[in-house]
Order: sequence, then structure tokens, then C-alpha cells
Amino acid sequence: MDSSNLIDKTEIKSEIEDKINSYDLILKKLEILSKKVSSFLKSSCVKDGRVSSSLLEKVQYKSHGYAWFETYRISLRELLQWYKRLSSTNKNSPLDALVLAGGFSEYLMQIKNGIMMSQSEIIRPEDLGLTSEDFSFFNEENFSEVINYGLSEDVKNEIVKYLCQGNFPSLGLGDETLEMIQDQFKKFTDEEIIPEANEWHLADKLIPDEILSKMSDLGVFSIAIPEEYGGLGMGKVAMCVVTEELSRGFLAAGSLGTRAEIAGELIRLGGTEEQKQKYLPKIASGETLTTAVFTEPNTGSDLGSLSTRAVLNDEEYTINGNKTWITHGARSDLMTVLARTNSDEKGYKGLSMFLVEKPRGNCENPFPMDGMSGSEIEVLGYRGMKEYEIALDNIKVSKKNLLGEKEGMGFKQLMETFESARIQTAARAVGVAQSALDISLQYAKDRSQFGKPIVEFQRIAMKLALMVIETSIARQITLFSAREKDNDERCDIEAGMAKLLAARVAWSVADSGLQIHGGNGYALEYPISRVLCDARILNIFEGAAEIQAQIVAKGLLGRD
Amino acid sequence: MKALVCVKRVIDYNVKIRVKADKTGVETENVKMSMNPFDEIAVEEAVKMKEKGILNEIVVLSIGSESSQETIRSGLAMGGDRGILVKTTSDLEPLNVAKVISKIVEKEKPEIIIMGKQAIDDDSNQTGQMLAQICNLSQATFASKVEKNGEKFDVTREIDGGLETISVELPCIITTDLRLNEPRYASLPNIMKAKQKKIEQIDVGSFGLNLESRLEIIEVNDPPERKPGIMVQDVEELIGKLKSEAKVLS
Ligand SMILES: Cc1cc2nc3c(=O)[nH]c(=O)nc-3n(C[C@H](O)[C@H](O)[C@H](O)COP(=O)(O)OP(=O)(O)OC[C@H]3O[C@@H](n4cnc5c(N)ncnc54)[C@H](O)[C@@H]3O)c2cc1C
Repeated sequence: MDSSNLIDKTEIKSEIEDKINSYDLILKKLEILSKKVSSFLKSSCVKDGRVSSSLLEKVQYKSHGYAWFETYRISLRELLQWYKRLSSTNKNSPLDALVLAGGFSEYLMQIKNGIMMSQSEIIRPEDLGLTSEDFSFFNEENFSEVINYGLSEDVKNEIVKYLCQGNFPSLGLGDETLEMIQDQFKKFTDEEIIPEANEWHLADKLIPDEILSKMSDLGVFSIAIPEEYGGLGMGKVAMCVVTEELSRGFLAAGSLGTRAEIAGELIRLGGTEEQKQKYLPKIASGETLTTAVFTEPNTGSDLGSLSTRAVLNDEEYTINGNKTWITHGARSDLMTVLARTNSDEKGYKGLSMFLVEKPRGNCENPFPMDGMSGSEIEVLGYRGMKEYEIALDNIKVSKKNLLGEKEGMGFKQLMETFESARIQTAARAVGVAQSALDISLQYAKDRSQFGKPIVEFQRIAMKLALMVIETSIARQITLFSAREKDNDERCDIEAGMAKLLAARVAWSVADSGLQIHGGNGYALEYPISRVLCDARILNIFEGAAEIQAQIVAKGLLGRD
Repeated sequence: MKALVCVKRVIDYNVKIRVKADKTGVETENVKMSMNPFDEIAVEEAVKMKEKGILNEIVVLSIGSESSQETIRSGLAMGGDRGILVKTTSDLEPLNVAKVISKIVEKEKPEIIIMGKQAIDDDSNQTGQMLAQICNLSQATFASKVEKNGEKFDVTREIDGGLETISVELPCIITTDLRLNEPRYASLPNIMKAKQKKIEQIDVGSFGLNLESRLEIIEVNDPPERKPGIMVQDVEELIGKLKSEAKVLS
């Protein structure tokens, strides 16, 4: 694209500097609205000073709308913080300024007119007890000017011009080490993963062992494991950076670490000293690959009611039951199995977590262990690790393999890992979104119709602008929740918001990306068709979108 | 044996370079910077030699602004042991860079100096050769293979028309070509270790060198834009265009 008519760069930045004050004031107004929505909902779901689950279920749609409202508000707050941090160190680019302006206006207009919880379900202000009067501040002169600026086609056109020159918004990591990590993993992904990813997907192959061992050498599995157990103890922001990059290449590559993350967190937080010594160093080195064995054919979202049984005789437990959707179930060495130890307790209180060692299988012989059998579930996307339905038939494990050597703690132990797992999943979603953006931008520049590259048509450019805006917003709320976690702040709600938003963004960005490809996007040969399939899972696992919204809403209503 | 590896901070090779509006140079504001790719190859070669037991210390040197520390740090994350930053705010031309390095060579007395054959920003391809002259050291440029042979190094060089293998005595300077090796990724543990490694800072003024510029950049321009090609219907049209537009036939 022609670069000569770019608005002067300093001009863009100073336009935004003038608006920052208004953004701050708008956020204050949103805070007031948020309180109003909260009390509106509480009036129908609080009983005896507590949120009642049954009453909450009666206003489920609205309360999920509230979760989304808050997700938008916090996202905008963090988008602004991102820009302010960049600007305070003079690292803000004109593109960053445009993304801030565009993002603020787009999401504000959705808050005012209807938020897309999914592409069919729109939550409107009236659903949340808000009236047009509540939004009258939109018309105050300084605000309306700020909002209209961000909505203008000029802003989006400028964004796309920068994209076409190879610029992307700043990540805003603000730390030399994190930047180096990002740089190295970007290179690794560009050179070792992206050239192979589509072939792995189309042939429905496991990610090759060779790549796995390169990832171990790079330290992927040791990020979150404390130093005293052979890990790097690096924290969640580092994990997000690595995860986003790997997922940008191939979702399963970014998801290998999820398994180490879940098992690592389970053992780190819930294990005995002996269990930590025994398992954590090998998980960190990549020698032990883990798999999470929770879901059952009849219990997915409602895990608390699962029916796999573990019965104690003397020193051993015997486990029986059917599990399903077990990712990387074959090529793994250690299962974290959630099973019921107390049959009198039908709910989550009767559950315990077991560390079950197993021999590593392969595609020809997935389960080389007595009492364990299963079959592969063929899937649309998220390939590279393979999912299995597994039967556990009289599997014996020592008492020492009960996590924490305490019964009845399984669900609680699992919940403690949710913050980390959600943050990590949000980062995976951001990586998938970025990949859709990268691929589609290139295509839009290369493909010509009616005598010019299609990126020059407004409808293509608008899509790209929104793709980059939303990807940036999702990235910033994800990094925010990671920083909260690293600072030991409770962030279950923020982590849930990040996962909720990033998963929706990944799907819509992938879908727009495919649209930009036209017919070719529908061809298996073009990577965007894979990215679309990969994106679809993000709204389902690690808390389906509805469950995630439920958790956020309940958390918010219970918080104050 | 000690190696000195010289690394330069340049615009990342993936970035589409843009010439400044006033034509005094190229845009570097908000542009991603990285280690010169040929220098990455130099670091990798040194790290390999250390792994083979040929070297026991790798010193990573850069000359530039405060930000060049990041470039040194990348070298340390790949396996360098310590760093030296010679601080300067001005853009030094190859001869001046060679003079500064010669001072560090005097101070550190490395047996081997490894650096890229050129930096991808100005493509000068001069510094290594000038340094060899100033320090009176043997040189092996454009190395595509380096092997220790007794007290010497056998270096295979990529030259016009083929490969040449020469034997150099120590101390020596080796400048790296693209095919010498594939630089490794810095692993997370090594990135963390690099944070603890020392980077000494020296002000360029402290050497008392005359670093006056002898080169002057008059103007920087974009390469002429290539016009897109066109499809012709048939040979006749092609010949017509070659005559009327390209004017290569008459
Ligand atoms: C590719 C893939 C990989 C997976 N990997 C693993 C793994 O490694 N280990 C593992 O243990 N599990 C894994 N899972 C399982 C995953 O965690 C579950 O699919 C998920 O928890 C949803 O459960 P479900 O599929 O049974 O759906 P259901 O719980 O049956 O939900 C169906 C729909 O109903 C909605 N719904 C359910 N309850 C409510 C409610 N109270 N209010 C409103 N809406 C509701 C859901 O949001 C969803 O839209 C994987 C799944 C997939 C698809």
C-alpha cells in the first residue's frame, strides 16, 4: 500500500495524548454503571445476604451478560494501562495509539448497544437494567468527540496501512528478559513449527518426538515449576509469552505445556513433599509427559458428579471407570486421574486426585498397560496430541499416589490450578488469533481482484483492523491476569474473563481470516482452514464459554 | 583459550526498512532491533568451540549505545561468558570500529576474534580486515568451516568459484559467512543465567582515539520501485511492447 499519505506519526500520538484524560473519565463512568448492574442483579439473586445458585440460574442469561459487561470494562481499562505504560517509557508507536482509540470506541459502542457474548447472543443494556439515560454521557462533547474519533474509518485505514508495512502493535512486555524470550520463541515457531504445522494437522500426526525434545531443551515444561524442584520458577507472564508464540505456530504446540502446567500445579500445590521430589523434576525436564484425566462420558462441565471409583484395600487403591476426551492420553507417562473415593458423597466432596504412572504408548499401541484400553476420538482440529476415550479396569495404585495423601481433596486441588490453566488457555487463544491475523494479512496483500490487492477494499481492511484491535485487547487482559497471578493477587475472575474474551476473539478472528481467503480459505491446503478448526475448541475446553461466564458472574456477585 | 566475539545491534532482518523523510538515514524509532545475523553465527561458532573444549572463555563485545547491552545479553544467553559494552552515541565507521576493537584486543588478549563478515545495515565488510591490519594478526575471512589443527586453525572460505582452505596461526581473526553454522535458540534456562552474567561498560572516550569520521553520508534513498509485470496475449503483442515500451527492439 501507498505509504506516502500516512498521517504524520507524531500527530497521531498527540491526538491520543489529548484523549487519555477522557478515557480515564469514561472508565469512571463505566464503573458507576457496573455497580448499577450489579445491584440490579443482586436484587433478584441474593437471599439472606448470599448469592443463591438457584436464583442466579433464573437470571442466567442476564448474569452472564454482566460477566461480559465486566469483561469489556476491565479489558478497556487494561488496554488503556498498556498504552500508558508504553507512553511513559516512550515506546508507544502510532499504531498502538490507533489500536487504543479503535478498541475503546468499538467496545464502548458494544457496551451501549449490545455485547456479542457469541455471534448469536447479544446482551443489551436493557437486559442489565440500564437505560438510555445511563449512557447520556456518550453525548457530552469531549466524550463524543473521543468516541467518534475511534469509530472513524480513518483510524481503521491507518491501522491497516501500518499492518501492511509489517508493523504490529507493541506487546508491552516492559522487560528485557521477557522480550528476549518472546524473540527466541518467535524464531523457534517461525522456523520449526509453522513450516510443518499444516502437514501435521492434515496427516493427523502426533507432533514429532524430535520437536518435543527441542521444546524440552528450550525449557518449555519447566517454566512454572519451582527452582528447588528442577524448574525455572518463572511465573505466568513468561508462560503466556511462550504459550502465545507456540500456539501461533500450532495450537497443540502451545498446549503441550498446558498438561505440564496442570500436573505441575496440582503437585506443587496439593502434593506431599515426597510427591514433589519424585515427579516435579521429571515434568520440568520433559522426561515425564503428563495427561489430565477428568472428563467422563456423562460428566463434562458438571465434573463434581463424576462416577469413576477408587476403592482402598490395605495399601492400594483400585480404580474403575470410563474417561473421555483425554488429550495426549497415549504418548504420556503420568495421568492425573480424578475419581470418587467416597461413594456416600455424591458431589465434589467425594472426589480425590490420583497420580497414576503408565508406560508411554504410541499410535500403534496406545495403551501398553494391563487394565487400560481406549480408542481415539477423531476431531476437527486441535490435532497433534490426539484425544482418547479410555476405560480404566481395575487399575492398582499405591496409597502414596493419592495426591497430598488425603482423600476428598481432589476437586479443591483441581480448582486451585484453574487460575493458571485459564491464563494459559487465554494465551493459547491469543496465539491462535495472531496466527489467523498473520496469515490473512499476507493473503489480503497477495490476492488481487478487480485489479488491486483485496486489502485495498474497505470491507477487507475493516476486518483486518478489527482483528488486530481485538487480538490486542485479548492479549492485554491475558497479560494483566498473568501479572496479577505473579504478584500473588487473587485473580480467578480476571483469569476467567481473559479466557472468556480471548476464546471468542480467537474464533471471530479466525472466521474473518477465512472470509478474507474466500474459497481458498475453505481448502484444507490453506492453513487458515486449520486455524479455524483449532480456534473452535477454545470456547469449549478449560470451561466452556457458558461455564466460564457463569464462574465470572458468580465470582463478581459474590465478591462485594 | 579465550575468544572475543564482536556483535552489532542492527535493524531486525525481518523488518521492512523505511527511509527517513529527510533522506538522512533509515527509520529506527519503534523498529525492532536484533543482533546482526552474521554475528549470531560468530557467537554460535564460539559456543561450539567452547563445547568442544577448544575455548574456555567467550567475551562478547559490542560498541554502541546503552541499548546494545540487549544485544550482548542475547550473546550471553546463547553461551557467552561475559560482556563488554563500549559506549558511544555516534555512528562509527568501520575503521573507527576496528580501532576501538583493537583497544579491547590489547586489554583482553584473546587468541581468537570472531565476528560477522559484514553487518546487514551498512554491508561494509571491512571491519575484520582493518582490525587484522591494526593488530597485525592473521585473518581468515568468509569462513564456512573452522577446524582446529594443532596450534592452528584450518578455515574453509567461500570465494568466487569455490572453496579455499587456509591455515591461520593464532592469534587470529575469523569473519563468518552464512553457511558456517546455524545459530541456536537461547533456551529459557540460559536466558535466565544470562541475567547474572557481567557486562563491563567502557566509555569510548577513555581510549583517547581519534575517531573522526572520514565518510559522510550524503543521502539515503529507497531502491527504485519495481513496476509490476503485465500479461501479454500473444507473441505479437510482446514484440510490439518490446519495441514501443521497453525499446529493446527496433
Ligand atoms: C478437543 C478436546 C480436548 C479435551 N481434553 C481434555 C483433557 O485432556 N482432559 C479432560 O479431562 N477433559 C478434556 N476435554 C473435555 C472438556 O473439558 C469438556 O468437553 C468440557 O468440560 C465440556 O464438557 P462436555 O463436553 O461434557 O459438555 P457439557 O458439559 O455437556 O456441555 C454442553 C453445553 O452445555 C453448556 N452447559 C453445561 N452446563 C451448563 C450450565 N450450568 N449453564 C449453562 N450452560 C451449560 C456448556 O457450556 C456446553 O455449551 C477435552 C475436550 C475436547 C473437545
